[in-house]
Amino acid sequence: MSLSPPENGFLITVIGQIEMADFPDFDNIYCKYCFVYGSDWELISGIEEGISQVSRKSQDNRKIFILNFPLEICFKSTNPYGWPRIVLSIYGLDSFGNDVIRGYGMYHLPVISGKCTKIISTFVPASSSLLQQMTSWLTGRKPEYIDSRVLAYGDGREVTRVISQGKVWIMFNVMIKDMRKFGFDNIQRNEIPTNVI
Amino acid sequence: MAEVYIIGQILGASDFPNKSLFCKWSIHAGGGWKLISGVKEGQTQIDDPAFGNFTCWCHPVDIHYATKGPQGWPKIHVQVYHYDKYGRSEIYGYGFCHIPLSPGTHKLECYTWRPVGTLHEEFRRYFLGGGIQLRSIDLIYSSSDRYRLQTEAMGTVHMEFSVILRNFTKYGVEI
Repeated sequence: MSLSPPENGFLITVIGQIEMADFPDFDNIYCKYCFVYGSDWELISGIEEGISQVSRKSQDNRKIFILNFPLEICFKSTNPYGWPRIVLSIYGLDSFGNDVIRGYGMYHLPVISGKCTKIISTFVPASSSLLQQMTSWLTGRKPEYIDSRVLAYGDGREVTRVISQGKVWIMFNVMIKDMRKFGFDNIQRNEIPTNVI
Repeated sequence: MAEVYIIGQILGASDFPNKSLFCKWSIHAGGGWKLISGVKEGQTQIDDPAFGNFTCWCHPVDIHYATKGPQGWPKIHVQVYHYDKYGRSEIYGYGFCHIPLSPGTHKLECYTWRPVGTLHEEFRRYFLGGGIQLRSIDLIYSSSDRYRLQTEAMGTVHMEFSVILRNFTKYGVEI
């Protein structure tokens, strides 16, 4: 990211990490991520797609997966429409060593500067019929999306049935440059507190 | 013209009598508002959580509006349906929420209600499912004609929206 003022657009820099995950039913997982953004957006630096190590569940009673996987990315745009989203696909290895989907998740990058941690619920698509449920149980192949980027868009969702399981913790540090200059206001105001009686 | 960007997602639902749910949503804005890009209505996936009591929809919303004034500020209304094991869907709740006026990220909780019918209708609903529905969806977000309804509390729909405003300060709006 260069600090000279860009003539055409504002910059958003995100540094963060995929901290950990909680999947009570499974013993090991790994995580793939990709960023999806609108046509007015441009990737300035960083890696758009990544894949983490295979993490095993902790032995203590927290029973979590530590991923500690870094995210560093910078985007440029003139239009907040199509704001970048991170799409997560969590895979795990079954007892035969096959990759099986354990969860999909999606989250918009924060639109305000600052640090935040987000907990993302994940889900897997359900088999569409009882027969497919049987075959997936026998073969160990679970239904999955051909392209996980569909999750970044809301259309066509009505035909999918999912089972939600697991959570992923992501920490974001966001720095936004020149948004004010283009007339945008994204400064967070404090909420007027609720009166507690 | 001033512009409003609404970016976020319908996270999911909790506290409904059953966990296998989906939601039809739509954003309604007044006459002076112009949709520049984005989709303003949709339907979420059907989620049946494996454990926990949070139904996860993870449905993205990304909308760009232009407006001449704050009258008719957009509101989102939701219709939550239960999808049962026979593949039938029945209404579980209606609700609406205003999109916040102030910029930044906001967590919204939309409390929902369902219409209650006569004793006979409720008896039918208890044994067969279904239940009565609103004939006009406008009733979800309008304040007229509500007094004739009898309703019952249902669960909560959780949403998170970030609002970015543009050129409001140029017209003297103090945000």
